Amino acid sequence: MLSSLRTGVKGLWRASSRALQTSSTLQHDSLFVHRDTPEDNPNIPFEFTEQNQKRVDALLAIYPEGHKRAAMIPLLDLAQRQNNGWLPISAMHKVAEILNLPRMRVYEVATFYTMFIRRPIGKYHVQVCTTTPCWLRGSDAVLNAIKEATGCEVGGNSPCGKFSLSEVECLGACVNAPMLQVNDDYYEDLTVEDTKEIIEKLKKDEKPLPGPRSGRFASEPLGGLTSLTEEPTGPGFGVQDGLKA
Amino acid sequence: MLRQPLSRALALSSPARVAPLAARRYADAVPAQPEKVEVFIDDQPVHVLPGTTVLQAAAQVGVEIPRFCYHERLAVAGNCRMCLVEVEKSPKPVAACAMPVMKGMRVKTNSDLTRKAREGVMEFLLVNHPLDCPICDQGGECDLQDQSMAFGSDRSRFTDIHFSGKRAVEDKDVGPLIKTIMTRCIHCTRCIRFASEVAGVDDFGTTGRGTEMQVGTYVEKMFLSELSGNIIDLCPVGALTSKPYSFAARPWETRRIDSVDVLDPLGSNIVVATRTNEVLRILPRTNEEINEEWLSDKSRFACDGLKRQRLVTPMLKDSRGNLAPVEWEDAVVAAARALRDCPPDKLLAVAGGLADAEALVALKDLLNRLGSEHVCTEHYFPTQGAGTDLRSSYLLNTKIANVEDADFVLLIGTNTRFEAPLLNARIRKAFIHKETDVALVGPKVDLTYEYTHVGDSASIVKDFASGTSSHEVMKRLQQAKRPVVILGADQLKSEEGPALLAYTQELAHKLQENLQDKEWKVLNVLQRTASQVAALDIGYQPGVGQALAAGPKVVYLLGADSGVVTRESLPEDVTIIYQGHHGDVGASIADIVLPGAAYTEKRATYVNAEGRAQQTLVAVSPPGKAREDWKIIRALSEVLGAGLPYDTLDEVRDRLSQVSPALVAYGDVQPNNYFAQARALAQSLQKPVSGKLDVQLKQLEDFFMTDAISRASPTMAKCVQAVLKQKNSPY
Amino acid sequence: MSAARQAIKVGTKNVRPVLSVNHGEAKRRVLNLYKAWYRQIPYLVKDYDMPKSEEQCREKLKEMFLNNKHVSDIRVIDMLVIKGQMELKEAVNLWKQKGHMMAYFKPTEEPKPKDFLSKFFSSNE
Repeated sequence: MLSSLRTGVKGLWRASSRALQTSSTLQHDSLFVHRDTPEDNPNIPFEFTEQNQKRVDALLAIYPEGHKRAAMIPLLDLAQRQNNGWLPISAMHKVAEILNLPRMRVYEVATFYTMFIRRPIGKYHVQVCTTTPCWLRGSDAVLNAIKEATGCEVGGNSPCGKFSLSEVECLGACVNAPMLQVNDDYYEDLTVEDTKEIIEKLKKDEKPLPGPRSGRFASEPLGGLTSLTEEPTGPGFGVQDGLKA
Repeated sequence: MLRQPLSRALALSSPARVAPLAARRYADAVPAQPEKVEVFIDDQPVHVLPGTTVLQAAAQVGVEIPRFCYHERLAVAGNCRMCLVEVEKSPKPVAACAMPVMKGMRVKTNSDLTRKAREGVMEFLLVNHPLDCPICDQGGECDLQDQSMAFGSDRSRFTDIHFSGKRAVEDKDVGPLIKTIMTRCIHCTRCIRFASEVAGVDDFGTTGRGTEMQVGTYVEKMFLSELSGNIIDLCPVGALTSKPYSFAARPWETRRIDSVDVLDPLGSNIVVATRTNEVLRILPRTNEEINEEWLSDKSRFACDGLKRQRLVTPMLKDSRGNLAPVEWEDAVVAAARALRDCPPDKLLAVAGGLADAEALVALKDLLNRLGSEHVCTEHYFPTQGAGTDLRSSYLLNTKIANVEDADFVLLIGTNTRFEAPLLNARIRKAFIHKETDVALVGPKVDLTYEYTHVGDSASIVKDFASGTSSHEVMKRLQQAKRPVVILGADQLKSEEGPALLAYTQELAHKLQENLQDKEWKVLNVLQRTASQVAALDIGYQPGVGQALAAGPKVVYLLGADSGVVTRESLPEDVTIIYQGHHGDVGASIADIVLPGAAYTEKRATYVNAEGRAQQTLVAVSPPGKAREDWKIIRALSEVLGAGLPYDTLDEVRDRLSQVSPALVAYGDVQPNNYFAQARALAQSLQKPVSGKLDVQLKQLEDFFMTDAISRASPTMAKCVQAVLKQKNSPY
Repeated sequence: MSAARQAIKVGTKNVRPVLSVNHGEAKRRVLNLYKAWYRQIPYLVKDYDMPKSEEQCREKLKEMFLNNKHVSDIRVIDMLVIKGQMELKEAVNLWKQKGHMMAYFKPTEEPKPKDFLSKFFSSNE
C-alpha cells in the first residue's frame, strides 16, 4: 500500500525523488508473536474433552518412550478441532504440559505450520486456492463471489462470525480448478453460481455436497477419455519372437 | 564433534521422569580412541579423529573459516551457511561446521568457489539486515561487520527498496539486562541454543517461517536465567545488546583490564572495560578451569554498583552522633587511639566476604601485634575435629572443571544454581552430555536439570554415611566410578553443622576408598563468599558468635556487611571501626569509617572456592580519598606504634607466601590430601542429627542482591523487580 | 711503567684555555659580566614588568653569582661566564618572557614524601 503510494508520488514529483527506506509490508496474514486478547489469553482454561483425552492417549501410544514429542502435531490438530478450528494459547500450553516440553517448543511448531490458526475464526473456514491453475480458471471471480456472499475480507471473519476467508496456495486439486476448501471438504470445478450456492447452504448450516461440481467423479477428463481408449494390450506385447516362450 | 543427542536438554526438569537405570550409558563408557584420518586443508595435511568437522580440522592447522551460527560450546546448527567451503570432488560447496571429515578429503578454504559462496551468503544476510551500524552498540565488535569487510562484496544489489522495503521485526522485551533490536537478527540461533543447552531455561525459539521467521519468546516473557547476559556475548550482531551499557561507549575507546570476579566464590575471570576512570562493563575472560567463557549476571551487571553508595572520605561520628567527613590524619589517629586504649582481649576484627588476602593478612598481623587473637570471618565453619586446620575440609577438592567428568553428583544443602552459577552450569553440562545423574538433599529448588530429591532432613546424610540408607541414590553412589559430593557451607552454621560435616567426610571417605581412580576427590565444600578460603588459609577464626558473646570494646569491621555484627549484639560503649568500600550495613553502625577500594580498584589476591589464588588488577583508581585496604591497615599500624614490616605490595605478598605459598601461586591449585585424617579427627563428632537443611537463595529474585556491591546496583534492583513482575505473569 | 708515565703526562698536560689564560683574567671577565647584569637590572624590571624591586633583583643577582663562588677551575669559570652572557643577551633582547625571568626567583620545591605514612596521607600512590 505504502510502496504503491510512493511509486505514484514519485511519478508526479520526479525531480527530487529520493529513495526513502521503509520497512516491508506484512506479507503474512497472521502475526508471529502472541498478543493477549479477550478471546485468546492464557487465563482461559483449556482441557481436552473426555472423548479427546482417549484420542490423546492413543496418539501418545504410537510413539516410543523418549520420542513422545513427535505426537505434538497430532495433538495440536486435535486441540484445534476441539476448539472450533482454531488454536488458543492455552491449548498450546496444555499440549506442552502433556508432552512435558518447554512451551516455546510448542509455539515454534504452532507458528510454523499455516494450518494451525491462532486467531478466533468462524465456523466455516473458506480457503480459496488462488495459485496459477485456479487463477487461470477464474479463482478471482470465485473469491469475489465469496466476499460478496459472506461479507468477509481475505484474512478476516464475516460480520455474522460464521465465516472466515483465506487465500491459500495450491491445495493439489489443479485438475479440478478452480476450487475451494471449507474446513475438511474440497469443492471443485466451481463456477460463481456454485460458489454462491455453497455459501447459501452453509449459511443455513446445511452441508453442501463436496467434490467436483462439473458432474465428474474425480479428476477424469470432462468429455470422456481422449486417449488410452483402446483395449489395453496383454502381457508379451511387442516382445520379439525369439523371447516368446 | 557433531551434535550430541540433546533429549535431556529439551526435557523439562521433573524428578518423576528418570529413565530406567539399566538403560543409562555412563560417563566412563567411552570407547577406545579410533584411528585418526588424514585430511588436507589448503593442501596442508592434518590428522584428526573421525567425526571431527571440517571447521575444527581447519582450526587445527590455523585456518579460520568464517562462521556465524557455529559456536564451539553449543550444538551445531548449520543454518547460517557462512562456513561454506569447497571440497574436492563435491559438486557443491559444503557447510564446514556440520560436515564430518572423510579420509583424504581435500578442502579448499580460499578457492574461487569458496569466496563466491561466502560473498553470496554475506549478500543475502545483508539484504535482510538494517545498515544502522552507526547507531548500533555492537559496532566495532560485530562479527557481521568484520566478516562483511573480510569476505563480503564491495557493493550491494539490493534494489528492492521501492517495492517491499527492508525486512523489519518487532523488538522483544526480555528483561532489564538485554536490549533486543530484532531487525538486526540474522537467525544464527545461538541464543536459542544457549538458553536451551547451557542456561536450561528454554524460553527462546523461532516462530513463523520463511521471511516472516523471527527469533523471540512468542509471548511477553523475561529471560529468567542467572546466565542470561551471556547471550549478549554470543550474539554475532547487534540484535542482543546490553541494556545497562547501551550507547555508553565504543569498544575501541575502552581500556580492558584483566581481573577476577569476587561476587561469587568461584572467582570467574573477567575483563573490566573502563573509560575516563569509570567501569563501563564487565565481560568474561576465557578460563577453561573455572568459567569457560560464561559469566553470571550478577558478576557481569553489578558493576554499576561500584559507582553508587561509595565511601569516598574518612568519617568520624560527631557530637550529635552523625558521621562527618574528616581528613585521613584525623580518622587514622582516632582509630589508632581507640585500638590502643582497648585491652587486647576486648579487641575484635571481623572480615567480610569481599576482603582480599593482603588486607586480611595485614589485619591479622596488626591485631596479633596488639596482642589479640580475635580475628574472625563472618561465615561460620566448624572448628571442632580437624576444623580449618586441614585445607581439604573447606575446599572444592574435585575442582570445577573436573565436575564435568563426574558420573554422580550429590548436593547436600546447597543451591548451586544461585550460590555458584557457573559450577551449576558445569553440572548441567555433565548432566546433558555425559549422562551424569544428580541427587539433592535439601529443599526442593529448580537447578535447571532433573535430579533425584532425597529429602531435606540432615539425617539422610547420616544414613548415607553409615551405609544404612536403602535409598536408590545410595546404590548409585556406591556404584559410581567418579562420584562428587558437594556440601553447602551454609549448612555448617547450625548446631548440627559439625556433625553434618563429619558425616559428609565419612561418606566421601567411604566412597573414595572404593574408587579405582585414586586421584579422584569426592569431598567438596562450597563456600559462599570470595574471601572465606583466603581468610581460613591465613588463620582467621570462622564465625563471630563466640567473639561477640565476649563483649568486645572495639570492633574492626573489614568490609563486614552481611549483618551478623549488629549494635544490639554488642555492649553499649563499643567503638566500631568500619573499613570498606560501600556504605552498607557495616558503615551504618560504625563510629569511624575508613574508605577502602573495591575489587576493580586494587591489585589484590583472592582465593576461590577451589583454593586457587588469583589476582585482580587496578582498572580504575579508588574514588575520592579511598585507599587500598592493606595500606590503610599499614598506616594505622604505624600510628599505633606497632608498624607492620611491609611497605610495598611485593613485601605484603612475601608475607602472604610465608603464611602459605598457595596464596601467591597465582592460577595454580594444589591437590589436597589428608582426607582420611580429617575424617578420623571428625569421627567423634558424628552425633545424631535431626534438623532440616535449608538454603538461603531459593529463587531467582534472591540471587541478584547478596553483597554490598550488588545491593548498591540499580541494575540488580531492576532485575529483582522484573523477576517479581514475571512471577505474576501467566507465562 | 710506561702506563704510569703516561698517566702523569696526561695529568700534568697543559689544557687549552677556553678564554682566560690565568685566574686574574677570569676574575675580570666575571666582574665585567656582573657589572653588565647590574646595569641592565632597571631596564629588565621595567621591560618584563617584574613584580620585584630593583633591590630584590640585585640581591638575587648577587646570590646567583655567589652560588658558584666555590668554582676554581678557569675553564669552568669561563664556561659559566659564557652561559651568563648568553642569558643576558636573551634577557636584554626580550627573547625571554616574563615567566623565564621570574623563574630566577622560583620558590623552593617541596620534597616528595618518602616514608609510607606521609605517602599514604598525601596521595593515593
